[in-house]
Amino acid sequence: MWELIKKYKRHIYIGIVLLAAFVFYSLNLKNIEKETLFERVVLNIMSPVNRVISRMNNGVTDIWNDYMALVEVRKENKQLRESVKILNSRLIESHESAIANERLKKLLDLKNSLKAPSLAASVIGEDGSPWFKTIMINRGESDGLKEGMPVIAADGVVGQLVKVVAKSSRVLLITDHASSVAGIIQRSRARGVVKGKGGESCTLDFSLAVEDVKVGDLVITSGIGRIFPKGLNIGEVTMVKKGEYGIFQTVDIRPAVNLSRLEEVLVLLQEPTE
Amino acid sequence: MLKPLKIIILIIAALILQVTILPAYLSDPFKPNLLIVAVVYIGFKTGDLGAFPAFALGILQDCFSGIYLGLNGFSYLCIYFILNLTADRLFTDNRYLMVFVVFLATLFNGVLNLLLLLLFPPINSIYATILPDLLPQGLVNALFSTLIFSFPAVNALVESK
Repeated sequence: MWELIKKYKRHIYIGIVLLAAFVFYSLNLKNIEKETLFERVVLNIMSPVNRVISRMNNGVTDIWNDYMALVEVRKENKQLRESVKILNSRLIESHESAIANERLKKLLDLKNSLKAPSLAASVIGEDGSPWFKTIMINRGESDGLKEGMPVIAADGVVGQLVKVVAKSSRVLLITDHASSVAGIIQRSRARGVVKGKGGESCTLDFSLAVEDVKVGDLVITSGIGRIFPKGLNIGEVTMVKKGEYGIFQTVDIRPAVNLSRLEEVLVLLQEPTE
Repeated sequence: MLKPLKIIILIIAALILQVTILPAYLSDPFKPNLLIVAVVYIGFKTGDLGAFPAFALGILQDCFSGIYLGLNGFSYLCIYFILNLTADRLFTDNRYLMVFVVFLATLFNGVLNLLLLLLFPPINSIYATILPDLLPQGLVNALFSTLIFSFPAVNALVESK
C-alpha cells in the first residue's frame, strides 16, 4: 500500500491540490455577491494605487484629447452632448410621469422614485477579463456603501454593487451574465427581466410572446424587487423575435449608458432588501 | 531574495496595467491578461514550489474579474500542473516557446472557465461571450508576452532558474 502511494505520490499530490481548489471554488459560489477576507485585503491594498494610476491616466488622455486633437471643437461637442443628455432624460421623466398620472394611482402618497440620497463615484478600474463585466469605483464601506445598492449614471442604469470594501467597491454591470434587473417596456408596460448578454447588450427575458414590444421601445426599471427605483432608464429595444412556438419572445436591448466609457457614476444609498 | 521581490513587483505592475491603464485604451477582447504570462513562467521555472503562487495569481485575478472567487484559481492551478509536468521535456529557455505556450494557456483557461461556469452557476449563455473571444484573447496575450519577454530584465529572469 505504502509502495503504491510512494510510486504515485506526485499524482496523488496534484489530485488533492486540484480537488481542494475545486472545492474552494464551489464553496464560494454561495457567496458570489459578498466579498471574502482575501478579496477585502487585496482590494483595500490595491484601490489607492488604482486611484492614483487612474488619475494619472485621465491626465494623459486629457492632454492627448485636448491638445493633440481639436481643442475647441471637442469642448463644444462635450457641452452639447451634456445638454442633449439632460434634455433627453427630462423628456423621459416627464413622459413617465404623464403615464403614471393617466393610470390614476389610487395611493394617496405618490412618491418620487428617486427620493433616496445618492453619492457620486469615479471609475478607477475595469474588469480584468473580457468575459465578465464589472468596474471598480472609488467609494466603499467608509462612504456608507453596501452590497446590493443600485448604481446609475446620467443616462440610466449602470448596475449593482457587489464586493464592497473600505475605500472601493466593484459594480456588476447590467451587461454581465450574472446581472438581472426587473424591467418594463415604457410604452406597453410589458414586463420582463433584463439580463446581461456579455458584450455591450442585454436581453429582456420572460417577456411573453403576446406582449406588445417593438424595436425602439424604451425599457425602464419596474421597481419590482425594490433594488432599483421605478422609472430609471435601462435602454432601448434593438431586436424583437417571436418564434412560431414557445411562450416567450426574444428581445435584445442596447443599454442607455455607454458602459465601456464610464467615468462617473451615482450610487443610490438605499438599503438593499435581504 | 531579490529575484522573488522582482517577480512580485512585476506581477503588481502587470495587475495595475491590466485593470487600470490598458482598459482606457483597449476594448474587449483586446485587453491582455498579463497574469497568465506569469502563470506560464511559474509553471516552467519554479518546479514543485509553484502551486501556491499559481493559485494565488488565480485568486488575485478573481478579485478583479467577475464575481466567482476560485474560478481562475482552479484553472491557473491546472495550467501550472500541466506545464510543471511537461517542463523537463521542453527547452523552457526559449522565448518563442513561452509565447506559444501563453497562447495555448489562454485558450485552455477560457475553455476550463467555461466548463466550470456551465457546471455550477445558472449562466447558460456565457459560452456565447467566451468562445468568440478565445482566439483574439490568445493572440493578444501572445503578442503582449512577446513584448514582455523582449525586456532584458524579464528575459534574464526567464533564462535563469
